[in-house]
Amino acid sequence: MARAWNVRGLKDDSRFTDAAGRVILTRWREMMSYREGTLAGDDIEDLHAMRVSSRRLRAAMDAFAGAFPAKGFRRYLREVKTVTDTLGEARDLDVAIEGLEALRDEMEPVAQAGVTGLIDRYRQERTVEGVNIADLFARLERERFARGFERWVHTHTGVDVARLAPRPPVADPER
Amino acid sequence: MAKPRPVAGIRPKSRLRPNARRILGVRIEEVFAYDGIIADPARVTELHDMRIACKRLRYLLEIFEVAFSSDLDPFLEQVKRLQDILGDIHDCDVQVPMLVEHLGWLEARETEAIRIAVAAPARRPGARASEAAFERFQSEIEAARRVDERPGIHALIAMRRARRDDLYTAFLDEWRAMKRQRFRAQLESALGIASADA
Repeated sequence: MARAWNVRGLKDDSRFTDAAGRVILTRWREMMSYREGTLAGDDIEDLHAMRVSSRRLRAAMDAFAGAFPAKGFRRYLREVKTVTDTLGEARDLDVAIEGLEALRDEMEPVAQAGVTGLIDRYRQERTVEGVNIADLFARLERERFARGFERWVHTHTGVDVARLAPRPPVADPER
Repeated sequence: MAKPRPVAGIRPKSRLRPNARRILGVRIEEVFAYDGIIADPARVTELHDMRIACKRLRYLLEIFEVAFSSDLDPFLEQVKRLQDILGDIHDCDVQVPMLVEHLGWLEARETEAIRIAVAAPARRPGARASEAAFERFQSEIEAARRVDERPGIHALIAMRRARRDDLYTAFLDEWRAMKRQRFRAQLESALGIASADA
């Protein structure tokens, strides 16, 4: 599993709102860093990493809910949940296909045809999920979700994503 | 899925640690609220909800560990271990009904393919019967049938059920060990929370 990005500038005596902005924006950028790989679909681990990051983001939003007004918060949380769920459908099929392929070789020859048929069915369903993911990201792009989200976090926490500059662990010398 | 309980008394303008304590205290309680209920292996929904509660607690420990001087890694690893077993149990609980559904899907496809074969022009009233036409029909029907796919699906169902039993036993062992080692009291102590388990 991809490692979580370090949260820059987060300290034991940070204010709750400041910590909220730093953690949420870091998890947000971490999640979006896997977008291109997920859409390309060449490596199933990109989608997996993006899904894990989206869960971390949701957990962070749940943790820091008290730092935001309820109305806007619910809208953004719902959208992040949509990302997690949409990726989850595809991930479940990726895992099922991979597991069935490994299992098929160990099974009796008489049982292999059924597993092959099931894999074929899941592959067809996975193609549809790929389209759903592309549609979701296209919609978020049209709605300028990223800009709106980052501004909203900044407004309520004072943390600016450009100044925070979240980055992957290997390139982070601050922690 | 059970929603996280609201946490009262959060003060956004104050420091991270006191707020983190309040939030973690509630999430720890959520995990341990399943004690007793999950002694029944048939409580599929509750086992799933407990997995979600473990996941919430784990992610929160990761988020808030910076605010505490104690080493939270052993607690994190323990919660992750429990969450992983519950996750594998959940996979089995989801997969078995999916495989049963697939058997129904195979049957529906088979029925449709046979209906098409039977309704083909050569089989309409008045069409000339011949040995060649019959053999063609027979081979179409044979191709439409998917009986050879069923044994594999039945085998998968049996394998998943057996694995589920093993996983549930492993889960109970893990959970009992956590209680024996007073995991909750130890974690609450590390976080500076007044323990309900003391």
